[in-house]
Amino acid sequence: MKDNKRISVVLAGQGNTGKTSIFNYYTGSHQHTGNWAGKTIEKLEGTLYYKDYTIDVLDLPGIYSLTTLSVEELIAREYIIKHKPDVVINIVDATNLERNLIFTLQLLELECPLIIALNMVDIAKKKGIEIDTGKLQEKFNAPVIPTIAKRGTGLTELMDKVIEVKENGHEPGMIRYGREIESCVDELSAELKNTGLLYSERWIAIKLLEKDSEITNTISQIRPELIRRKETLEKRLEEIHGHDSSLVISDERSHYAAQIVSETAIMRPHRKLSLSDRLDIITTHKFAGYLVMILIVGGMFLTVFKLGNWLSSVLETVFSSWHNWWIASVGETFLASLSWSAIEGVLALVEIALPYILPFYIILYILEEWGYIARISFLMDNLMHKIGIHGKGCISFIIGLGCNVPGCLSCRIMESRRERFLTAVLVTLVPCSAVSVIVFGLVGKYVGLIWAFGLYVFAMVIIFIAGKILSKLLPGEPVELIMPMPDYKKPHLKAILYQTWDALKEFIYIAAPIVIIAGVVIQAINLAGWMPAISRFMSPVTVNWLGLPAITGILLIFGILRKELILVMLAAYLGTTEFAEVLTPVQMITLAVVSMFYVPCIATVSVLWKEYGWKRALAVTLIEILFAILLAGLVYRLLSLFDL
Amino acid sequence: MDTSGKPRSLIDLQEGQSGIVLSLNGGRNLTKRLADLGMGPGTRITVLRTSLFSGPVQVEVTGSKLVLGRGLASKILVEPR
Repeated sequence: MKDNKRISVVLAGQGNTGKTSIFNYYTGSHQHTGNWAGKTIEKLEGTLYYKDYTIDVLDLPGIYSLTTLSVEELIAREYIIKHKPDVVINIVDATNLERNLIFTLQLLELECPLIIALNMVDIAKKKGIEIDTGKLQEKFNAPVIPTIAKRGTGLTELMDKVIEVKENGHEPGMIRYGREIESCVDELSAELKNTGLLYSERWIAIKLLEKDSEITNTISQIRPELIRRKETLEKRLEEIHGHDSSLVISDERSHYAAQIVSETAIMRPHRKLSLSDRLDIITTHKFAGYLVMILIVGGMFLTVFKLGNWLSSVLETVFSSWHNWWIASVGETFLASLSWSAIEGVLALVEIALPYILPFYIILYILEEWGYIARISFLMDNLMHKIGIHGKGCISFIIGLGCNVPGCLSCRIMESRRERFLTAVLVTLVPCSAVSVIVFGLVGKYVGLIWAFGLYVFAMVIIFIAGKILSKLLPGEPVELIMPMPDYKKPHLKAILYQTWDALKEFIYIAAPIVIIAGVVIQAINLAGWMPAISRFMSPVTVNWLGLPAITGILLIFGILRKELILVMLAAYLGTTEFAEVLTPVQMITLAVVSMFYVPCIATVSVLWKEYGWKRALAVTLIEILFAILLAGLVYRLLSLFDL
Repeated sequence: MDTSGKPRSLIDLQEGQSGIVLSLNGGRNLTKRLADLGMGPGTRITVLRTSLFSGPVQVEVTGSKLVLGRGLASKILVEPR
């Protein structure tokens, strides 16, 4: 039977356990990503064909528990209960055994068929941790497979075990907690028969005693009489243990996990400091840490820009020869120009993606794989808190400096929707590499480098103020940083390339359609000869308020596609790159300020749209246009006073 | 350095100093989150790193390293040991 040859597998684990490596190893080229229904959280699915089986693999979000404190946690547990996957693979970081096993216990409470992938056993061994997998298997009554996901070690055995569990069935192990807790759980679950809920009575009872808000709400609707009972039992637990019953259950799991670790693992910590610890003496140091960070991040940008500028000038030469060929062989008719602008859209994306975004991602993922990104979050948490987000938001800013599109996408790492949106909006104000082209190509070259750097400082101040204001306006409490600090690890080439490719693909998928369509539309308006009328229409703003030449109206419209087009079009219009002939220094700075803030480019708007809905995307866009115009006008007036 | 066992907030520990968690006072959600990470009352916690200008602290608990925001860390009451 065909259905028997299909296995559904779910990967569950905490962050940094190598879950993604395992997912990529299995599903490689057969992946599809989407969002969880109605949520802005990525849903990763893939298919593996192995030994006549079609194995559907789902990567659950990396979470730390199965309580309803975050959307991801809710998604994870609902998925396991509702879809009853054939096997749940719990990826456990062998170097952080105790913390990871607390999560394993929560999975076991769901009574799902579990296989434990004990990952990073090589690093654990190096750290002097020896784990008796046989004993661990016994304790949990679940198969335990040691793996080294990065190298693929143990992953075939793991999949063989999945098939074995599917074929032979496996009674999930039952975890029994301390006597007082069990008696409360038993008493409560006895009254929970026939609730019509998919969860087991025991699980509901545990969650009720744990004061899980979602389950408590559900039960208070269908069995309101049980709430009193639950509260009595909670009191009983609280009297015995002396703290809140939700903590009593968590504590019980922690102790249980600690107990298992002490029985199954031997830890012989080396006297000598590990390389990772020695590196951390400097990289998380109060003062030296910041110095190292500036060197690393600065070095990263310098490399990307040097490399990018060179590569992009090479590409530009190639593409412009293609354009000449196009004109020569297809002609310059209305239709020919229009189709060229569609092609140009694709080429333009290549011209950003290849020279800037690709190297940028590679370096970023090297740092991430190495473990340095977590150090940046640690160092920057304090500053980030001042603008209402925590240290992890800093990562999105750094990515945003390269390109706002992946910058906004990366905000998914923030815990709450409020944080995600707040960070995304601030990222749109971060000057991306396209803006840098304007800032350095115009202001840096003709007014002075000091002014160009000044503009960056200015942007930081604006982001800081905007963050202050936004975090006051957006309802909700700021989330505190809770982040595991991974040890430094040797970056793994395959993982880096994989993640880079993934991120690049996403950038292209999101940005390409919209950039091409918008490019064609703008070109059509241009060919129809409406541009002069538009620039006249815009002149009250551009000429009267901003003090810029009327042509900038058109430039700013093209800039919606890609901001550096402002400069490219200006050069095309002038027939030279001697911008000093048409613009005064004050006008250059004014133009740079408008370009920095006036519209997140169309690709970024489309990400905002996709992630936060069109209303918010539109609101952000309009507000930023108005803000940029207002700000640049003020800058123009202020600088005019000094007569640069 | 005051190493007497008087209960104090986690942020008052020096780098390298350890303590036993007495209570978590950060509201139910945060408290629960910490407890789920194995940081319930009675757990031994060691401060590895503090940071400038009242930034976050890096701690070691149940053999794992964690970074805790300053506000959160200040709500963890420990008995230095």
